[in-house]
Order: sequence, then C-alpha cells, then structure tokens
Amino acid sequence: MATHQIVQLPLVTAPLKARMRRNRLRVLLFLAPGLVGFTVFLIYPLVMTVWLSFTNSNMISQAQFVGLRNYRYLLDGDPLIWHAVRNTAWLVVIMVPAQVLFALGVAMVTARLKAGASLFRTLFYLPALAPPVAATVAFVCMFNPNSGPVNRILGLLGIHGPLWFNSPDWSKPALTLLALWGSGTMMVIFLAALLEVPAELYEAAELDGAGPWHRFRYVTLPTISPVVLFATVTGVIAGLQYFTQAMVASQVANGNIQPAPGYPDGSTLTFPQQLYIAGFNQFHAGYACALAVVLFVVAMAFTVVLLRRASGFDIEESPR
Amino acid sequence: MTTTYAPAPARQTRAASPHRAARGRAGRRRTLIWIAEHAIAVGLACAFIGPIVFIFLTSVMTDGQSLTTSLWPHHWQWSNYRTVFSTAPVGTWLLNTVIYAVAATATTLLSSVPIAYALARFRFKGRNTAFLCVITMMMLPPQVLVIPMYLMWARLHLTGTIWPLVLPSLFGDAFSVFLLRQFLLTVPEDYLNAARIDGCGELRVLTRVVLPMMRPALVAVGLFAFFNAWNDYYGPLIYTGETPAHWTLALGLATFKTSHAVQWNLTMAATLIAMAPVIIVFFFAQKAFIEGVTLTGVKG
Amino acid sequence: MSDSRTARRTVAASLFAVTALLAAACTTGGAASKADTGADDTTPVTITFWHGLSSPHEIASVDAVLAKFHKKYPYITVKAVAAQTDDKVNQAIRGGTAPDVASSFNAANVGGWCSSGAFQDLTPDIKADHVDLSQIPKAVQSYTAFDGKRCTMPWLADTFGLYYNKKLFAKAGITSPPKTMSELAADAKKLTTFNADGSIKTAGFMPYLGAYEMLTEHLVPSWGGKWLTSDGQSNVGGDPAFAQALTWQKNLVDWFGAKKLVTFKAGMGDEFSAQNAFETGKLAMMVDGEWRNAFIKNDKADIEYGTAAVPAADGKSQLYGAGYVGGNVIGMPRGAKHPGAAWKLIKFLTTDTGALTTLADAIGNVPTTTAALDSPSLGLSKDPNFAPFLEVYKNPLTTTTPASGDGGAYLTNFGHFVEKWQSGGVPDLTAGLTAVDKQNNAALKLGQ
Repeated sequence: MATHQIVQLPLVTAPLKARMRRNRLRVLLFLAPGLVGFTVFLIYPLVMTVWLSFTNSNMISQAQFVGLRNYRYLLDGDPLIWHAVRNTAWLVVIMVPAQVLFALGVAMVTARLKAGASLFRTLFYLPALAPPVAATVAFVCMFNPNSGPVNRILGLLGIHGPLWFNSPDWSKPALTLLALWGSGTMMVIFLAALLEVPAELYEAAELDGAGPWHRFRYVTLPTISPVVLFATVTGVIAGLQYFTQAMVASQVANGNIQPAPGYPDGSTLTFPQQLYIAGFNQFHAGYACALAVVLFVVAMAFTVVLLRRASGFDIEESPR
Repeated sequence: MTTTYAPAPARQTRAASPHRAARGRAGRRRTLIWIAEHAIAVGLACAFIGPIVFIFLTSVMTDGQSLTTSLWPHHWQWSNYRTVFSTAPVGTWLLNTVIYAVAATATTLLSSVPIAYALARFRFKGRNTAFLCVITMMMLPPQVLVIPMYLMWARLHLTGTIWPLVLPSLFGDAFSVFLLRQFLLTVPEDYLNAARIDGCGELRVLTRVVLPMMRPALVAVGLFAFFNAWNDYYGPLIYTGETPAHWTLALGLATFKTSHAVQWNLTMAATLIAMAPVIIVFFFAQKAFIEGVTLTGVKG
Repeated sequence: MSDSRTARRTVAASLFAVTALLAAACTTGGAASKADTGADDTTPVTITFWHGLSSPHEIASVDAVLAKFHKKYPYITVKAVAAQTDDKVNQAIRGGTAPDVASSFNAANVGGWCSSGAFQDLTPDIKADHVDLSQIPKAVQSYTAFDGKRCTMPWLADTFGLYYNKKLFAKAGITSPPKTMSELAADAKKLTTFNADGSIKTAGFMPYLGAYEMLTEHLVPSWGGKWLTSDGQSNVGGDPAFAQALTWQKNLVDWFGAKKLVTFKAGMGDEFSAQNAFETGKLAMMVDGEWRNAFIKNDKADIEYGTAAVPAADGKSQLYGAGYVGGNVIGMPRGAKHPGAAWKLIKFLTTDTGALTTLADAIGNVPTTTAALDSPSLGLSKDPNFAPFLEVYKNPLTTTTPASGDGGAYLTNFGHFVEKWQSGGVPDLTAGLTAVDKQNNAALKLGQ
C-alpha cells in the first residue's frame, strides 16, 4: 500500500544525507511556531513561576529571594488556603463525577430515543455553549432565595428551599447544578461512543440471557470506558482550574460592590481564585507563584494518569 | 425483559434492526417504554431550556417586578434592551468580544494547522515528545503561568490591551493542534502520496489536498476557538481589566449588576445579549460542531 | 516580646530596601516628581484621572469641578474615567498603564500602596508647595499615609450614621431615634413585620453583616474598638470591644433567624439604585454613609426620613456622636506620565476650598479641610439630615480603619470570620478572634 512514501522512505536516487537534512528542515519549518510558543509561553513562564515562588515579588518592585517563606505561609499562615483546597477538592471529588454520571445518563436516554433524537441532542447540548459568566449570573438569579423561580417551584411542592448561593452548605451544590446544566459536551461525546457499540454484542448478550444491568456492565461499559476515562480526567483538570463560575457566583450573590471572594463564608473560594487574589488583588505575587507550583504538580499528576491509562491519545500510532 | 440496549438510532438503522421481529411479541410494553423514555427526554429538555426561557422573561420585566417571585411579566418592558446599552458600554463590550473572538480564531487556525500536520504526518525523532508537549500545554491550568506571563506582557507595555489574549495563538493553540492531529491521522496516506508523486512539496500537499479534505475539522476547531474566546473570562480579567475601553462582554457582565446598580431585569437582558450570538452561530453550524465535539472524545 | 521586635526591625529594614529600590525604579518610570513640576511650564498637557464614582449625578459633579480646574490651569486638560475600582488601579500600576491621578474609596489599601510603592510619596511636592496639612483632622491624616509616607491625600470623607424611616417609626409608636444599642435592638424588633409564611416583610434593622453598609467597620466605633495596636499588630482579639459588638449583633441576628435575614438580603434591591430597601420602605433603619442623603434626593424616593449618630454601646454613652470616618483617597500612581500636572490636580482637589465645597455639596460628602468645613459656602451644613454626619467628622473620638502594610488583609480575614460567626459556625468567640489576630499578623509579615 505505502510503497511510494516520499517522506518516510529514502529514495535511491537522492543522497540519503541531503534528504534527511531536508526532511529535518521541513519538520522544523512546520513546527517553528509551535516551538516558539512552547518556549515563550510554557518553558519560560514555568521556570519563572518556580523562581518567583522563592521571592517576595509584588509585581511592582524588584523581587528578592526569601527562601521557603511563601511555602511556609502556605502550610501554616494563610487562613484561607485550606478553605480553597477543600473547596477545589470538593469540586473534583463530587462535582466532576456527578457531571460524568449525569452526562452518561442523559446520553443513554438519548441513545434509546426513537423519535426526535437529534432534536433532543441539540436541546441538551445547547446550554453547554452558554458563556460561563452569563450562565452563572442567570443561575444566581434563578436560585435567589427571595425572588428566584427555583425556590418558588419548590415551595409549590411543599419544600422549603435552601439559600443556595447564599448558604455555605448549598453554594457548591448550586454550582454543581450549574455544571450539570452545561454538561452537554460530555453528553455528546458519550452519545457518540454509545452509538459505536456494535449491536451484535448486545444481541449475543441477550441470547445469553443477560439483563439490562449485565448488558450495561459487560457490553456497554467496557466499550465506552476509554471515552469515560478521558472525559473524567479532562473534567478533573477543569475542576482544578475552576475559577470563573465561583468568582462570579460569589460576587453576584453577595450583591455588594466590594468583591467578596468565597462568599458565603469562603464556601466558593477555589484554589485558583486564592492564587488570583494573592497575586493580583494583594501584593503577594511570590506567594501566588508558590500556589501555582502546587497547582502545576497536581495537574501534571492527573495528566500522567490520563496518558498512562487512556488510549484516546494514540501516541504510538504512526502514519500509515 | 425484551427491551434492548442496542442504541440503534432512529435515523440510521431502524428498518434493518433485527429487533423489529421482536416488536410483535411485546408491543404494548414497548409502547409504554417508548412513552416513558420520551417523557424523560421531554422533562430533561424542559430542565435544559427552562433557564433560557426564564432569562428571557425576566429581561422584559420592570425593575420592581424583577425583585418579586412572579414569573410572567405583567408589563412587557422591551425598552430594557435599549436601556442596557445606555446604562453600560455594552456595545463596546460586544465589539471587543467580536474582535477578540475573530482574531483568536483566525490566528489559531493559521498557526495550528501546520503544527498538527507535522505531528500527524511527518516521521521524525522526538515526534512523540513533541506531542506530549502539546498535551501538557493542553492540560496545564492557565493559572500556573499567569504571574510571569503578566510580567512579560507588562514589560512589553501590552497589558490593558487585547494583544496578550490574541498573540499567543499565533504560535499554535494546544487544543486545536491536538484536535486537528486526531483528524489528520484519519486521512489515508494514499491521497497524499498521489499528490507527492505529482511533484507537490509538502506545503502544496497541505494546502491543495489536505486542507480541502479537513474542512469539517477546520470548521469545528474554528468554532471552538471562537467560543473559547467569546466565553473567556480569566484572560480579559487579567489583561484588559484596567482598561474599560477594552472590556469584553464576559468581563462587563460579571460586575454588571453591582457596578451599574441595576436590578435583575437589566442584568438578564445583558446576559441574553451575551448568550444570543453563541446560540445563533450554533444553529447555523450545528452539524460541524457536534462532529467536532465527538472528535475530542473519541479517538480519531 | 522580642519576637515581634525583631519582626518590626525586619519590616523597617525591608521597607527601607523597597524604598531605595523604588527611588531607583521611579526615575526610570519617568516619574521624577520634581523634574517637570516647573511652575512656569505651561506646555499643554492632558492627564488621566480615575475615580470610583459611578452614579450619573456624581460623575457630572466631578466633571464640573474638573472644569473649574481647567479654567485655573488652561494648559492642563483632565480626562476623567469614572467607576474605577482598586483592583483595576492595581492592575494598571503593574501593567505600567496607570493613570496620572487615581482615587479610591478604600482607604484600607493605602498601606499596601505606600509600602509597595504603587503610589508615589507626595511629601516632596507637599514641602515644595508649602501645603499645610494641619487643616486636615488627625484621624483623616492617619488613613491617608502609612509609615511616614504620604502617598495619598484625603479627597472628601465619608462618615456613618443611622438613617430611620419616620413614617414607620410613627406607626410603631417610636418617637426618637435610638441612642444606645439595646434601644436600637428593641426598636428593630418593634419595627419588624413578617409575612404569612414567616418570612420578613419589613425589617426594622438589618443586623446581618455584609448587607449594604452594615459592616463591622461601621459598627465597632460604637464600642470604641481599635483594629490595630499602636505598633501595627492586629488587635481584634485583644480589644474586648470586638467581642462585645459581635455578641450584640449575633443576638439580634438570632432573634430574626439567620436564614430569614439572608433570604431578605437576597431580595433587597441594589444598594445604589432606587430599589434600595431603605428607599422603598422595606428597611426601617440602617447604618449608612452620609451620601445616602443625596441618593434619596436623586432617586426621588418617597420616604420621610431622619438621621442621627449611630447609637453607642450600653454604658459607653461618651461615644455617642462619634463614629466611623473613612473616605476617598487620591494619589499619584507609580508610572504617572505627567507628575507635575498630576500634583497640581491633587492639590487643587484636596485643598482648594471652593473645589471641596462645590463637590461636597454636589455629591453630599463631607469636605476634608477645616477651611472647607467652616466655609459659609458649604450648603450641606444647613441640611438637618446632613448635620449629624458633619458632627461625627468633627468628633475627636471618631475612629477609622487604619492603613496597614498588608493591603487591608486584616479586614478581609475579619470579614471571613464574621461570615462564619453570624451563621453560627464559631463556638468560641474569644478563641476565634485570637485566631484572627494570628492570621492577620502572619499576613502582615508576608507583605515584607
């Protein structure tokens, strides 16, 4: 099939070395922008982040080396950092799995629909496109305990609704509902994977007398599990970066012109938010970099898990 | 049970479905299940679309009514949409958002295609490492690098403008490279070889043969880049926050309610203004979009 | 404690180092203050001025005063940008795009600005132009400078008092505004009405901290609380006033029920709009700044109201009439392009009696110099609803939230603490406040 590959196979007519050099030059030419980007927008700032984490940088005056002081403050000093760590962990451990399960459930319902499947798919997907800021503002309005429709509807059902974005116990569940609303992307991915499960497998399972749960457990799940894993890890990485919705929700729910990060009671303060506050609101850029280093290590650990386990990346696949 | 998990979608293979024969056996039951399934779907659709309807209804209420629990506007105050534009520079925000989104989309496409092509189609030492780097960049939370990046842009006197948001995508956007590579892996090599035999250089192969073939992928990547920029809050917050003239919709909307001392009605009107373009674009490019999303999750 | 003494010495040393660095940095930033202050230099120049005022009537008033400035210095044109926040100012300073003159509502940031060099020390200009600082009250001087560096000037002040709805008072049979905190609590209960479902219909008073201007800052002066010790350390655990104030506040919160208050708060219209709950009659009493008078007038709110000093704590009647003072500060950020013209604007806005009285009258703020306060052209002094606020300003026992080197982190930390406190999450108040002291002092060290 591939007998005429000029790129890969050296031809007899041209000197091997010149050909290889040309090949290398071409690769370099195509990759040049990427290499520049990689150096300027990843390697350089990464090295600088690590360096600045050992300084008292405030992004205004010259930074001075202060040793491990920022890391000491991180472990014993910053009154809010454990709030932030706990909140981000909550999002990763509860919100992300909830999103995955919900998206999988919706995808399974959609996959079974005989009529209007594509219309429903469109409707379910649509909210995923809503700008996060807009979606968050709308949700805070909807869940407003005084004038919002959610508690009104709950009231009609005889349920005394909670304070949602105004309660430390309910603010993260409210953010989770917001995430579920916008989980259409995952849903579409799962749906595509479900539709790829060969029908013969189900028939075979049915002939063997497998019930719906067994068919799901032994036919559906093994086939779609790489996709689910991929979605879960990218979801976890997104959970680690969770910033916009938390920041906007606290601001809008508090209703005060002065920013109130983490409102109510620090319950929506996430790790990246604390980093932002230290670096940009206060004058503690060095400390913010120490937080960045921690975030980097954690995010990379999850990425390694993904690369180890998910086949979705096809790293080893070579051109045919 | 006679139900099946075969997700045979109506649009493809129902006629050919071997389960058709089974239908006679438990037709009633199937009908009930059909109804149950569609009832769930309709319920879900209400939950997904309800908020958008609510936003719209609130956006045409009066100040006073938007502070109450009533859901239906007593008086349809369409002028709210005019008031929004005079209360805050929403027009400027809209324009800035369009500029940012269009510029970011163009630069992303321009720079990411050659990189993706090289990663998918060239054989060279370090190719896997290069791809690992792409994944690393894709997975890296932007907050990790934000302080040195900010200092860098400040030294170039570009903070307070949209340049720090657009310029990096001139050097390849990791997610787009990843997506395009996944797609390019599916293009049969034979097509390319045919062109090479005709004496085309790699650049010609890319522009003449590959690009036309990857139109759906380009549309999807372009749309993603567009929406990413449109929805971006963190970038504008860091880099254009200090210059209101360069604010985007996301930035303006986040503090809209308190800094302009307005009630929910105007806030929801502004919210809908931020959502509407995205929804409109989506309806025009729905197919390419869903294909693109699928491409991200399933191996190419 | 020798520990804190060494700490203080390190503070001093590092401050010195930062100052030295800044002295070098500022010259490169084109901000050598004296270089182009030349009084004769009348080359036309345009400077930018950021302020935080955002209501249309406030913006118009500032523009009117700026027009006066332009008349006095025809070669200086001021481009004013309204509705700016401190975060934006900070960002612009870091990005090197700072305006020539910036003002802020938030004096708590002054410490961070002075010590980090974000704002330039105005002392050389003040000395060169022989500006007399003694015309500014001591408390006001203290929140506009930090550690010997005067990096901002006071530009109008805000004092806080009690607003009360006379109609609702009459309906509840209350004849005069409360003078002590227990009277305030009793009146609040009398004035409150509930809906059939148990939710609050009209709140006599909103004790939930974080609602509008109901902040600990505005409350503790009634107990005589001092935020920092004389050497700049956190004092909220050491000073019993804080525990007393919070206990009073929590008792009132518990009477309503915290959940009901939060629900009520979520339904209050935006503070700076005509839907403000006090202006719509849903809130019978509130602690607010003197500016509310102007807002009530501009919103044409349909209420009869009166004002008084914030009640004093029981047994501390000597504090009645004193209160909280804070205010707008104005200064020259690092990187200002036209420091000479910028200083002229700052001087004009903060010391020119005509400029101060005009603006004070227009936006209903307290003018900051004694000359302006005593000026016969100050219309505000004739308004009975404004008088209590002027009295608070002149009262020697009036206090403020002092500038600190941590950029106001002591207030942020305390804010988080009270959120927990009022929702019932603090079992031991004294221990909790001591912990806040520890956090504040740790934050103070990080800034060095």
